[in-house]
Amino acid sequence: MSQPKSEQYESSKPLVKVKNLVKHFPKRGGVFNQVIAKVHAVNDVSFEIRKGETLGVVGESGCGKSTLGKAIIRLHDPTSGRVIFDGVDITHLSRSRLRPIRRRMQMIFQDPNSSLNPRMTVEATLREVIRLHKIVSESEMRSYIDGLLTKVGLRVDDRGKYPHEFSGGQKQRIGIARALAVKPEFIIADEPVSALDVSIQAQVLNLLMDLKDELKLTLLFVSHDLKVIDHFCDRMLVMYLGNVVEEMPCQDIHATAKHPYTKALLASNPITDPDQRGELVVLEGEVPSPYDPPAGCPFVTRCPIATDRCKTENPPLEDRAGNHRVACWEVKE
Amino acid sequence: MNRIRNFFRTREMRKLLRDRLTIFAMIAIGAYLFTGIAIMCGAITAETCDQVVGPNKLNGFYREELPERRYDIATTKFLQAVQTALGQEDPQAALEQVQLGRVRVADKSPEELQTIVDQIIGLRDELNQSENLDEDPAMMPKLAEMEAKVEQLKKPLTGMNGFLHNASLWLGTDAQGRSIFFRGLYSIKIALQIGLVTATFSVLLGAFLGAAAGYLGGWVDSVIVWIYTTFSSIPNLVLLVVIAYAFTDFDLQKRVPAFMSSWVEGIDIKNSLLPVYIAFGATFWIGTCRVIRGETMKLKEMEYIHAARTAGFSSFHILLRHIIPNTAHLMLINFSLLLIGAIKSEVILSFLGLGVKGQPSWGIMIRDAGNNGDVVTGFFWEIGTATVLMFGLVLAFNILSDALQDAFDPKHV
Repeated sequence: MSQPKSEQYESSKPLVKVKNLVKHFPKRGGVFNQVIAKVHAVNDVSFEIRKGETLGVVGESGCGKSTLGKAIIRLHDPTSGRVIFDGVDITHLSRSRLRPIRRRMQMIFQDPNSSLNPRMTVEATLREVIRLHKIVSESEMRSYIDGLLTKVGLRVDDRGKYPHEFSGGQKQRIGIARALAVKPEFIIADEPVSALDVSIQAQVLNLLMDLKDELKLTLLFVSHDLKVIDHFCDRMLVMYLGNVVEEMPCQDIHATAKHPYTKALLASNPITDPDQRGELVVLEGEVPSPYDPPAGCPFVTRCPIATDRCKTENPPLEDRAGNHRVACWEVKE
Repeated sequence: MNRIRNFFRTREMRKLLRDRLTIFAMIAIGAYLFTGIAIMCGAITAETCDQVVGPNKLNGFYREELPERRYDIATTKFLQAVQTALGQEDPQAALEQVQLGRVRVADKSPEELQTIVDQIIGLRDELNQSENLDEDPAMMPKLAEMEAKVEQLKKPLTGMNGFLHNASLWLGTDAQGRSIFFRGLYSIKIALQIGLVTATFSVLLGAFLGAAAGYLGGWVDSVIVWIYTTFSSIPNLVLLVVIAYAFTDFDLQKRVPAFMSSWVEGIDIKNSLLPVYIAFGATFWIGTCRVIRGETMKLKEMEYIHAARTAGFSSFHILLRHIIPNTAHLMLINFSLLLIGAIKSEVILSFLGLGVKGQPSWGIMIRDAGNNGDVVTGFFWEIGTATVLMFGLVLAFNILSDALQDAFDPKHV
């Protein structure tokens, strides 16, 4: 595995590049089963993830953040745009040519109750993927699996158990072990803790953090929880209705957030320190239907600072000072 | 061992075994299966079922026949025995024959036999003087004596043979004098054989097509859905009859190219069960296919399927290892339901003369029993045997599949 010599990810080259990624889900109907509408799940999204970096994706339910993750790993075929992994455009690779790439990128899923086959033991689940990618020989299999289980904090005797014998947090650990089994470089974590109890959330997050440092993983961390993102990530993307509205480093996000939607998101989070509490921005109305997004800025229907221009023109994601990109006509500096 | 114990401790198994009725049904099914397997191992053959074991339409359950009929039966038996023993050129050789079909000649010297024959003829002449034996109680001892003498002419059956001969008469005989008991039991094998073969085949075919349609979607889904909607738009029984009828005059020898005809020599398709299998196999997979397709569409969105896809497994591997095992409970329920359907349809087809040929079947028994309006005159034991045996099997499986459905239904506590 090639890891950057430098620990500073800023200087290293990007591992994943996403260029103008679009994913529409057609809705079919009528007599001839023609496309009658499209869900604009991901709309023209571009970003880069450098080696060793952790990028957070945050947004409310239905904003397309999970779809983005699934489109990168080709669980969904993108409608247009490109995903470049370590210099290889994987958007149109055939299944057989995609397989070696898939070993290098893995996914951790949201719901631990449905992410494990109920009819396979932990060992069978792990062995299956290890065998497919020929990670270790059959003779080393047992010790390798034991090592994986220990690494994610499970007991070695758990090997022969079925998923229903575990708690949610333990199942999520098995899911993590499955992702790590093939020695990946890049992991997409699709809301890995949102289905867990808060006390378990912290354990799993700490486990992920330790593993990330130990194995020098690159992570795309999808979550709707700003606190988790802030705690865990180096940078974050804020998504709204399939669009990236802000891209910013995760340092003092309360002070640096510029987009009105990000500010509203931050304000909706309870803050323990009274000195840091800012004004409370309560968003009016509902998220527009993804079948029929607004013509201009996606946030225009709920934006407190919207102007006439916002209704007709979608603001591009423009570079601002300090590794910061914002898509808003009204945010100038 | 541990696995088996764990299997019985699963929630589904505990729910299944909680109901006493289900246990009874399972015991009944076990008994049927045991009988079927015993017959398959040769306990009763099709030839046994075709043998004449006694007079026509003999009453079952050892119920008394009317004196007139007793006289007729005794006379017929007597004449048969005399024919066999004395009608031959060499009486000594005739006596040495231990058994001739079911008509046996006692191991006695010709002189002894002659004495018995003379006595019987004397008794017969006396009985003949009576106008109507049914209304002549005075003649009863003589009739009994004649029956006993006739029995003396025969070599008594001992051991297993004696038991089997007795058993064959338990439920009486049909219009050709064949054992109803054996024919009814043999039909269990036919019913189970057809049920198991068609249910296994249909469930596997339906599961594979349904899983493929549900998982792959697109044109595969369209084609499979088109096929099963087309098939299910034709009334099921009509389709069965048409397919079975198409095979009534099927001669494989004439259908294959000349050079292959020696290969298929001796294969008699129209008298085998193959037409029935084909007719059932073509129609029975539809229900399973539809259910499994729906379940697959649900499972497809489960995250472990996504995980398998991100790992890079082929669709075939995912179908075989992840989807189909997780539809196993539906396959089990469908198997049980299809088995009942196949058994009932087999009886209907056989009744119509399109199903089983050359072997006993409940359908054939029911048809034979009703052929000449005999049922109306009190000949109930053939149709009764077939119906009761079929009723028991179908009811037991119905209870079992009901219990299976309850056990595997997550909404049912």
